[in-house]
Amino acid sequence: MAAVRTSSEITFNRVAIVAVLLVTIIFLAPIYWIASTAFKPRNLATTIPPTVVFQPEISPFVKLFTKRSQLRSPPSPEEYAAAPWWERVVFDGGEKIVRDGKGQVQWSGYPSRFLNSLIIAITSTVLAVGMGTFTAYGFSRFKVKGEADLLFFILSTRMLPPVVVAIPMFLMYRAVGLNDSHIGLIILYTAFNLSFSVWLMKGFMDEIPKEYEEAALVDGYTRMEAFFKIVLPEAATGIAATAVFCFITAWNEYAFALIMTNRRAQTAPPFIPSQVGSGLPDWTVIAAGTFLFLLPVAIFTFLLRNHLLRGMSFGAIRK
Amino acid sequence: MTQIELRGVQKFFGAVQVIKDLNLKIADNEFIVLLGQSGCGKTTTLRAIAGLETIGEGDILIDGKPVQHLKAADRDIAMVFQSFSLYPHMSVYENIAFPLRATRKSKTEIDQEVRSVAKTLQISDLLAKKPSALSGGDMQRVAIGRALVRRPKAMLMDEPIGALDAKLREEMRAEIKRLHIKQGSTTIYVTHDQIEAMSLADRIVIMHEGVLQQVGTPDEVYSQPANLFVAQFVGSPVMNVADAAVTEKASAASVTLGDAAAGFEFPRTLLSKLNGHAGDALALGIRPEGVLIRRDAADGFMAVETQIVEPLGSFDIVDLKVGSNMLRARTKSGFISGPGEKVFARIDPTQAHFFDKASGKSLEVRL
Repeated sequence: MAAVRTSSEITFNRVAIVAVLLVTIIFLAPIYWIASTAFKPRNLATTIPPTVVFQPEISPFVKLFTKRSQLRSPPSPEEYAAAPWWERVVFDGGEKIVRDGKGQVQWSGYPSRFLNSLIIAITSTVLAVGMGTFTAYGFSRFKVKGEADLLFFILSTRMLPPVVVAIPMFLMYRAVGLNDSHIGLIILYTAFNLSFSVWLMKGFMDEIPKEYEEAALVDGYTRMEAFFKIVLPEAATGIAATAVFCFITAWNEYAFALIMTNRRAQTAPPFIPSQVGSGLPDWTVIAAGTFLFLLPVAIFTFLLRNHLLRGMSFGAIRK
Repeated sequence: MTQIELRGVQKFFGAVQVIKDLNLKIADNEFIVLLGQSGCGKTTTLRAIAGLETIGEGDILIDGKPVQHLKAADRDIAMVFQSFSLYPHMSVYENIAFPLRATRKSKTEIDQEVRSVAKTLQISDLLAKKPSALSGGDMQRVAIGRALVRRPKAMLMDEPIGALDAKLREEMRAEIKRLHIKQGSTTIYVTHDQIEAMSLADRIVIMHEGVLQQVGTPDEVYSQPANLFVAQFVGSPVMNVADAAVTEKASAASVTLGDAAAGFEFPRTLLSKLNGHAGDALALGIRPEGVLIRRDAADGFMAVETQIVEPLGSFDIVDLKVGSNMLRARTKSGFISGPGEKVFARIDPTQAHFFDKASGKSLEVRL
């Protein structure tokens, strides 16, 4: 029999759809704001009321990647005509691109900060998820003395706001020469993410039936082989979810990056706002930097979306 | 050629002893069924043989060599799990090929062997599928295929068809038996289902609370149960067991059940065969088919009243009131129309079993 929907159900569904749309709009509004500002001409970035319809420009991105200085006088027509298009948009804004003695364009600090962010976030994610997976497997499959206490202890590292330990960490790092180094931030983020990774992976490992490994053991494999050939593929969903969370945490971390680094290993989060202070704030450049900064997480999450959504074990064990 | 022997095997889980001094010899090509209720130690025994559990004491010998210190991978034994444990991320082909890949065989060899096993089990058309796309019976076939493909020394099966529905279970039972006859490998099979055990086993090993109760062919454990536990565990409908008092009558022996007013007539030789146990606390065991019923009075038959009748298709089970005890008899279907009927019953002495009530042991009286 076909289900008959009453009018109250239909009304409820409509209200629910409107509510979901509203929430979606509220959540996406800041993203839209950043993305649109990243393509706005500078003079339209701060208008009240906000400009919604405008001719998108690429100039904020050109400015983001290059070192610029204020023009004392407008460029000569020949100079303007000889300049490539991306230099002209900078001229239009009353600035010029700084070149070295050989005429090479000087890059801004953004690309290297972005690269630092990538190196540090990816490495610390791999380490935290890798170690977390092994630890969780151990806790899940073997009798560990004082297991509950150990797991509680592992979690206790998350029971205080990390910033509380920022000063002692800074002093320690300075003493051992780890400040402003990639390895320093990698260790820090790995340590910070590890407890989370262990707990999350433990949940996923507990869900994987022990019989799979036992079958592999009887089939002639060592425990290590069984782990890599059977448990890891089965844990892919959990690993993907944990990796996304660890990556986002490391990628977006601001406070430690601000305190522990200043140049060599500085990541993008402390760098982007530091641009506010030089001359009049150019919000379009900051928005462009932020917009680009959003992309890796969005892409990473998009690539892993199937793993995040897929169920754990799909019916090959009969319970 | 694979013989398996358990010598004085003991296993503890903390303070609980789950296997108590188990001794068992399994011959080459034999199909052994470990039968018992859940928690009796049968699965633990199987897992100990597979190498998935360590044992506290004793030896496990495969072909005369102790293997209790070897890893599961080094024992060359295959196992079929109740849950099937097919690897969900691999296709059926990959699942069956998986044990062969551990042996570092060549690709063509692996391919040949996988296809030949698939042919035997009639699952060739499933090779490309993922386990999640299979029915219960097919999963079971794949699990057996994965166990067979390596030609292991022995096959261990832990309630392999327990998760299937009744009809499929019957089909798979026949298939497993056919396969065993064809392949002829030493097989140890764990189940709590005595019908499965009876139909499959060369010999049945009955366990209870970690203790081996009896080892014997299906016929032996059915017709000569070693103790009260085996007597009541094997056979369906369950064997009647009642307190019995044996007295001497003029020309015969009389066995009175519980508080019944009169006794059933038994041959006089019973007294001598009980060998002095007649005065002890005895229990009589008789299977429903050993309770004979007729409508008219006859020599040696006792008048009883019928209670409930359970029609089971090919036969009926009728409850007869004997004192405060209930004696269940097997009759041809429709023989008794309902409760309250007066009939005449006797116990077939050749099918009667006498047990010592205190120890539960059979007194081995055969009339």
